[in-house]
Amino acid sequence: MYKFLLCWRYLRTRWIALASIISVTLGVATMIVVNAVMAGFTQEMQDRIRGILSDVSFEARSFNGFRDPEYHMREIEKIVGDEIEVMTPTVTVPAMLSFQLHGEWNTRPVQLIGVPRDAMEYASKFRQYLQHPKHREQFRFELQETGYDLRDRFGGEEAPLRVRMEMAGMVHRRSMIEYRRQWEKQMAAQPAPQGDMPAKAGAQPADAVADPFAAAQVANPFDVADRPIDPFAARNDNAQADPAAPLTGCVLGIGLASYRHAGAEHFLVLPGDDIQLTFPTAGTPPKAVSDSFTVVDMYESKMTEYDSSFIFVPLDKLQELRGMFDRESGTTFVTSIQIKLKDESRGSIVRDKLQAAFPPHFYSVSTWRDKQGPLLAAVEMETAILNMLLFLIIAVAGFGILAIFFMIVVEKTKDIGILKSLGAHGSGIMGIFLSYGLSLGLVGAGAGMVLGLLFVRHINEIRIWLGKLTGQMVFDPSIYYFYEIPTSVNPWTVAWIVAGALAIAVAASVMPALRAARLHPVEALRYE
Amino acid sequence: MNKHRTANPAGPHGPTVAPLRSQARDSAGAHDHAAVATTVTTATSATAHRARPSASPDHESAADSTGGVILKAVGLKKAYHKGKHEVPVLRGVDLEVRQGELMAVIGQSGSGKSTLLHLLATLDRPDEGEIWFNGQRIDNASTRQRDRLRNRQLGMIFQFYHLLPELTALENVLAPLMITHGYFSYRLQRRKLVERAKSLLETVGLAHRLKHRPRELSGGEMQRAAIARALITEPQILLADEPTGNLDGRTGQGIMELLRSLNTQSNLTIVMVTHDSAIASQADRVVQLVDGQVSDS
Repeated sequence: MYKFLLCWRYLRTRWIALASIISVTLGVATMIVVNAVMAGFTQEMQDRIRGILSDVSFEARSFNGFRDPEYHMREIEKIVGDEIEVMTPTVTVPAMLSFQLHGEWNTRPVQLIGVPRDAMEYASKFRQYLQHPKHREQFRFELQETGYDLRDRFGGEEAPLRVRMEMAGMVHRRSMIEYRRQWEKQMAAQPAPQGDMPAKAGAQPADAVADPFAAAQVANPFDVADRPIDPFAARNDNAQADPAAPLTGCVLGIGLASYRHAGAEHFLVLPGDDIQLTFPTAGTPPKAVSDSFTVVDMYESKMTEYDSSFIFVPLDKLQELRGMFDRESGTTFVTSIQIKLKDESRGSIVRDKLQAAFPPHFYSVSTWRDKQGPLLAAVEMETAILNMLLFLIIAVAGFGILAIFFMIVVEKTKDIGILKSLGAHGSGIMGIFLSYGLSLGLVGAGAGMVLGLLFVRHINEIRIWLGKLTGQMVFDPSIYYFYEIPTSVNPWTVAWIVAGALAIAVAASVMPALRAARLHPVEALRYE
Repeated sequence: MNKHRTANPAGPHGPTVAPLRSQARDSAGAHDHAAVATTVTTATSATAHRARPSASPDHESAADSTGGVILKAVGLKKAYHKGKHEVPVLRGVDLEVRQGELMAVIGQSGSGKSTLLHLLATLDRPDEGEIWFNGQRIDNASTRQRDRLRNRQLGMIFQFYHLLPELTALENVLAPLMITHGYFSYRLQRRKLVERAKSLLETVGLAHRLKHRPRELSGGEMQRAAIARALITEPQILLADEPTGNLDGRTGQGIMELLRSLNTQSNLTIVMVTHDSAIASQADRVVQLVDGQVSDS
């Protein structure tokens, strides 16, 4: 009984001990915040990395791909049929993207991915990253009239307005063609040296900041029309009948269509504009072929690596252009089969089974984790090291407690002597100081937990407030591609942190408590 | 006053008790007297023993009139080590304390009287010799047994009172009981125990200081609180280490009278260490300690 009474009295009268516990409080709070942010960040990263990667991908080692995806899918079905939810054949090939900007051609290397036209089954998250709400429901490589998102979907209200997206779609396309017609008329009336000259800024109408030449190909479609294998021959007729009719659709990574300058986004290409893609054929030696496509939507997963290199086109179109089909047997070629599993966590088991069943020099099988393994491992490593360092901070706080407890024991030497003279046993004396340490730890860790959780909860408000206070952006979305600091509190992590801090507080009080228990009563009584 | 005491070494006897008490506590005297009698009842029958001194008022010294030996020391030796030097403090002390007597141990500073008291109180172990309490050897008992003994059967008061500064007077008095009882057992009996502590504090004249911290009390009040604390467990013997050593003459005398009355009213055995011969002379028996040995003079 006296243990608790004295422990309580010491708690109430020794403020210095509470000061020592502040370091524990701060340590616990910091650890909770850091873990929450790191976990949030990791989660966000994983989501983004997954982006378009399917659970398991079954790929040909050659760009020429493999023949007859249906046969392969049947074979895969035989081996791991129970695990599979859906399979999608795709073609992936490096390509060059060209688009006209202010009359000049702009060329960039890209990764071209042919996906089935409905694209319903292609990786679970593909549609979710598109910019048109209808496309997120159901995607068909069709240009929408208008209604593309005006803001970054992940940014919410805070994201800056993408003014130019307001006219994206058929509206933009028509106005471009109309503008171009006017321009040509003007050129015809007033002969200029060349019709294809870059536009002067002054020549552009004030409302159309957009590049008037983005749709130039439409007026000059002859090279496309001459291609022998052109399943869309009718399209050219349409094009002549209605120059605004879209070409084959494609989805452009948003990083390819825009750039950031001084924190603002600038769009080079909008849905409704045409682009030209050049890529190798499947023959030997590969020859470059090119075709024009209309951008029907943009893909924004916030994973820069994907956003600035991927272009999605219809699979059959790509197969035709690359000659990835056999006229006689009617079979096609694909470079990979994307497999979505019923249970994502069984990815590596499925991978191992498939690896064993198919000749490894032709096929490579990998899970999405394999593909982004180093990145994920780096983040995990970072979290582990941070945790270790922060725990060391709490351990340092433990030494503070140790020192202050020693001080308190020395200060209380006489009281210890008195208690012993009254018949208190050493273990009882030890109990006073151990429970003192435990209660200080509880107070410290508890306060730290509350503080940390509150901080995590209001982290974005704190960020904004700090930004206002210092006049500097604390967390610049244009750098991190996050509009809000992502957080995720794992109750187990919090429990472990609090338990660790408690253990340290108790451990630090063990030595002083032992010393107190071993004090000789007579000497303790004499102590002045 | 002192003169009267010294002239009458057999002070505890009947006639002197009444004036003593009335000096120590004025109007509440009669009431306190009753309280002492009812609350501070030791293991032995108080009334039977109290009757005895008054029945034989002329009896010289404390001697046998008080009862059997309750505490006995045989050939106690104790030395302190300072570096390589051994400083002998007690060189073979033999002592007998009888039930119900008020015994004073006097001696110069460094004569080892405090050390002797610490040994008797089981706060320290002798190098040689034996200590017997109620027919049991206690100097070589286990730590736990000695702790129990100190807690339940010995009461101690000190020159510097040694109250716990964080606790109120009442809590200080209750401290030994808190040590005796576990958390739940204390909780269950709390009301009863608190009542006992309160009436004991009333007995020593501190009824109005229950909630005061030691630093808010005067020296005399602190010593009274310490006495109450020593008596709360109803010990068989009270060991006092210079109880008046830090108090002025008048206050010291007040404490002395309180001890005297406790001794007479409740037949409490008291062993008191002092260097003040005026205080010592009020005891039933005086033992002088010279150079770590009981002087025969």
